[in-house]
Amino acid sequence: MFIISFLVRRLAQGALIIFLVTLLIFTLLRVVPGDPVRLMAGGMAPEALIEQIAKEMGLRDPVLVQFGRYMSGVVRGDLGQSFVRPASGASTGGSSFGDATRGERADVLTLIGETLPMTLQLAFLAIVFAMLFSFLVGIPAGLSPGRWPDKVAFYVSSIFISLPGFWLGIVLALLLSVKLGWLPAIGYKGFAYTILPAIVLAVELSPVLIRTLTGSISSAMMMPFIAVGRVRGLSQRRIIFAHALRNASVPLLNLLGIQISGLLGGVLVIEFIFDYPGLGLLTINAVLQRDFPLIQGIAIVTSAIFVLINIAVDLIATLIDPRLEY
Amino acid sequence: MNSSPVLSVKNLGVEVGTGAGARPVLSDVSFDLAPREIVGIIGASGSGKTVLARALVNWIDPPLRISSGSVEYKSQNILDLAGGRMRLLRREIAYVGANPMGALDPTLPVGRQIVEKLSAVVPGIDPSEARKRVIDLLGAVRIPSPRLRFDEYPSQFSGGMMQRALIVDALISNPAFLVADNVTQPLDVTVAAQVLRLMRELTERFDTAVVFVSSSLPTVKEAADQVLVLSEGRIVERNTPQRLIDAPQHPYTLQLISQIPKIWTSEAVAVPRTPNAARPTISIRDATRTYLVRKRGTFAAHSEVRAVRNVTFDVMPGENFGVVGESGCGKSTLMRLLSRLEFPDSGSVICDGQDLSKLRGKMLLKFRRDFQLVLQDPFNSLPPRTSIGAILEDPLRVHGMRNAKEIRDRVLAVMAEVELPANLYDELPLGLSAGQRQRVNVARAMVLEPKVLIMDETLSSLDQTEQFRLLALFEKLQAQHGLTYVFISHDLAMVRRVCNRVAVMYLGEVVEIADNERLFFDPGHPYTKALLSAVPTLEERRYKPEDCLLEGEPPSPIDLPPGCSFASRCPHAFDRCHAESPTLTVRNHGESAACFLVERQGARAAA
Amino acid sequence: MSLAQTNLSLKVTAPEAQRGASLSRRIWKAALASNEFRVGLVIFAILGLAALLYPALSGIDPTKMNVAGRLQSPPFLGDKWNWAAPLGTDQIGRDMLVRSLVGLRYSLLIGLSTVVVMLIIGCSLGMLAGYYGGRIDMVIMRITDAQLSIPMIILAITVLGVSRPTIPAIILVLGLSSWPVYARVTRSVVMTERKSEYVRAAQLSGASDFRIMVWLLAPLVLPPIIFVSVLDVARMMIFESILGFIGLGVQPPTPTFGNIIADGRKYLLNAWWIATMPGVFLCLTLTSINLMGASLERARNRIYGGVS
Repeated sequence: MFIISFLVRRLAQGALIIFLVTLLIFTLLRVVPGDPVRLMAGGMAPEALIEQIAKEMGLRDPVLVQFGRYMSGVVRGDLGQSFVRPASGASTGGSSFGDATRGERADVLTLIGETLPMTLQLAFLAIVFAMLFSFLVGIPAGLSPGRWPDKVAFYVSSIFISLPGFWLGIVLALLLSVKLGWLPAIGYKGFAYTILPAIVLAVELSPVLIRTLTGSISSAMMMPFIAVGRVRGLSQRRIIFAHALRNASVPLLNLLGIQISGLLGGVLVIEFIFDYPGLGLLTINAVLQRDFPLIQGIAIVTSAIFVLINIAVDLIATLIDPRLEY
Repeated sequence: MNSSPVLSVKNLGVEVGTGAGARPVLSDVSFDLAPREIVGIIGASGSGKTVLARALVNWIDPPLRISSGSVEYKSQNILDLAGGRMRLLRREIAYVGANPMGALDPTLPVGRQIVEKLSAVVPGIDPSEARKRVIDLLGAVRIPSPRLRFDEYPSQFSGGMMQRALIVDALISNPAFLVADNVTQPLDVTVAAQVLRLMRELTERFDTAVVFVSSSLPTVKEAADQVLVLSEGRIVERNTPQRLIDAPQHPYTLQLISQIPKIWTSEAVAVPRTPNAARPTISIRDATRTYLVRKRGTFAAHSEVRAVRNVTFDVMPGENFGVVGESGCGKSTLMRLLSRLEFPDSGSVICDGQDLSKLRGKMLLKFRRDFQLVLQDPFNSLPPRTSIGAILEDPLRVHGMRNAKEIRDRVLAVMAEVELPANLYDELPLGLSAGQRQRVNVARAMVLEPKVLIMDETLSSLDQTEQFRLLALFEKLQAQHGLTYVFISHDLAMVRRVCNRVAVMYLGEVVEIADNERLFFDPGHPYTKALLSAVPTLEERRYKPEDCLLEGEPPSPIDLPPGCSFASRCPHAFDRCHAESPTLTVRNHGESAACFLVERQGARAAA
Repeated sequence: MSLAQTNLSLKVTAPEAQRGASLSRRIWKAALASNEFRVGLVIFAILGLAALLYPALSGIDPTKMNVAGRLQSPPFLGDKWNWAAPLGTDQIGRDMLVRSLVGLRYSLLIGLSTVVVMLIIGCSLGMLAGYYGGRIDMVIMRITDAQLSIPMIILAITVLGVSRPTIPAIILVLGLSSWPVYARVTRSVVMTERKSEYVRAAQLSGASDFRIMVWLLAPLVLPPIIFVSVLDVARMMIFESILGFIGLGVQPPTPTFGNIIADGRKYLLNAWWIATMPGVFLCLTLTSINLMGASLERARNRIYGGVS
């Protein structure tokens, strides 16, 4: 009963959030200067043709009307069609835009559907790497605040957080792939191509995890029931693993939930560097090509992912700590 | 009685810090604990009693350090034992502390944690056997429906309930001795009395010896066979409780005893009362305030917490009116209604003939000027970055004074009046003592020349001496300015000392209103009697806790049962009490109590 | 004795007594006393001074081409001892050291200004939400959630991709897309503070909400947040460099870390220093800022978290 009402409430809230995101992106794309049709049709296209195309696509209707039309599609699960990408294969340049190809423009949902699993694979692997590393560094640090493991964690996280992902990606690709030939780097021809980008992402993700873990473990160790637990006769191992870690995991989970959008942002740049065919690369290309429907679709999907993951995180958190109410 | 002691403390010394900066916390403490004996240790805060309690269970962490002596159990010094071997002894050495709500992991059910401890100290115990034992003992400490409570989380337990569970946790492994460190300190008096009774019962049943540490001599007197008085880390006196109280030897003991307030053997202050004043200063009429709390596991359903229910009383000009009650009785909500921080859902609060909810603009400012609140917490009520002078000037500016010199003069005059040295004008409140801070609070209220001061637990955080001084100040201010005071407090002794009329609250209702003398000597409501029976005092008790209070805790203010809210704990409750809710019944002029028994008495008197 | 037998000793509440005024100073002192902060400060001072002075002192124009001296490797790598270009030159012979240092200037300028924008927007909204609660809180928090749910970099590149990336535009866009964290933190602190007794006392004396927020709450709530915002300067500098790298940052010929690295990437195999050297500069700067920021954060947590 609790779980159902929780889910219903949170999903409703999530729907509102996604709606707001859609509204935000939609208006943003319409108030900023730059006419997408001009870009699609190419610089040489006559003004009349551009007006005609724009009218046909409904781009000259009032913004509110456009938004209504778009939303009614979204509700039915239709995110519209890409401005520039044909249904089959690679993107077409602006110059080849013509009446004939317009009917076969790719569905935004299909484009996202093709690339999303790749990104999820990358993100998942990155989280695994980051968690492993953070636990290794963060737990000892949290258990001995002020001593050397704590200092190590402090410097490691300060340095890692200072490595811009795109630069690290270039350097690592040069070192590990080009010079040493250990790992493949550019493009995607199998799972091994995920490893290097995932390492770069993990380096980006782990500093915050290490810091939160260190902080929450050391504050969990200060809680009165830890000291009392010793007097009650519990072993140190039990106190750390059954109680301190359990209490420290809630802040960590919450952080992971929040970091999801940061992670997706990081993915974008890393995919661009490694030419990894995921959602991030799709996003950058969509922006550079002013493919409005695709940008909108990606924003909706990423915010939906964020919402869903945060619901899951909060649900797990309430299972761990029954005092929490969301 | 000639059996060898369970525990033997020899020349124990503990210091804080190391090297040259080390300062002794305990020195030269020696005593024995015989089997089944209860030794009480009494001392003021800072006397080192908590450190002593912890040393007895080998819980001394840096910066504290054992500097000398030993704590011998089974002829070995437990202070020398390594972690692993000490852990095995935890089965026989138990400890309960003063912070029940922090003692268990909040994310795991209480029962499971007690089982966890049991299997840690008794390795190889059968889990279902352990579970059964825990449930049995939870029942034995009168935790209702122990089988269900076993799976509940610490946050679902009240403070008193949690302390009971921790007593179970301590005694479950049948220890040789128990160290109880200030166990009743965080509890309300009526609950504390019950917990104390239970602890005695259980330790007798298990033949456990107890070291009972407390800062309250009346509590120790109830509990212990022998009392040690601890002052500045040394034991200064040892005796049986009765002899200690009758004939204290050491000046410190004498001082401790003299600070314990007297309820029945002292005179209440005589408040010059303006009889039959035209109209009451404050008149609260049938006020009810309900908060909505979202129900867990529902979509939009709310539970009602009825924090204040149908409260009606008048405060006459020049009175010292007291409102007493234990935690959760609605005192603070009442304070918020009286100071117009919130409005009642129904009923009204009328001050000086004006309904507070209708005040706007000029009238509101006038009300703010006339009715001032002095807050509870001396440390949080002053903005830390503002100088004392600026704090006191602020209300004057808000109320439209512009002339800088006039403002300064007024502030200095008020500071003199509350006996704050004028040189504090430009100081920040950082260095001030609690008493001085409370004076600043009083000055901030007085600077606008109000008619009424509402004191919300104003004196609770001060020690006895400082309390006396502030009370004298209040008396002086009242004489000079004709002030009316409303004291909201949980402290019966303080109320006894200063208030001429007192309202007793329980679960959001006023259950009794009476003049001071009548309330303390002939209370009409069973709850008032229960409160009086549990006040820590060394005097001959007029009311015995056994006669006045049943086991059990106050019901939750959410979803109150029908009938009288005190019925569940009242020894005199009968059928009608569980069905109908009694209303305030007049016993005498200006005195009434909400109890069916009062009606009967009245009826009998009339017949 | 009292009903609850309270046993409040002044010792227990003493740390509480030292709130406020001296707190910021104590955080500073604690941070300054830590080695980590000092290391960061020294690195930052050296880099900052270099960025400020070297381009002018050396008299080298960061955009000046020199096709003859192109793709020179840094002298410390061995072969040619050309100390005129200590970090080598790029594909059209521009001096890498000067370009990196000028890039650092832009990076710092944008990072700092963005954080100021974030602080202003985030803290004001958080203050309103936390102080008033109820509906205002609801609306502000939903907007915050929505904003948090799209990666800010997507927002930023969307806006900058379709409009012209000028410096003010970059600052505004980065600031507008990353304020929610501040709104959340401010809100949660204000929510607890507004119930505190001194706020109540101010309300009782009739002070207006605005007066309470600006004069009472802000000085108390903001300093700890501002201390930690140092970390965000570094974060925003990274975002600035990402934008530059994608081609949506400050436009060439103005050198920024992002566009230098993007250029250098094309010559990675035969002139690897072009892409890596500016990165080393950026990393060093970020590390120095992060060391200082993290020391401040740690000091704040220790002082605000209090003695247990």
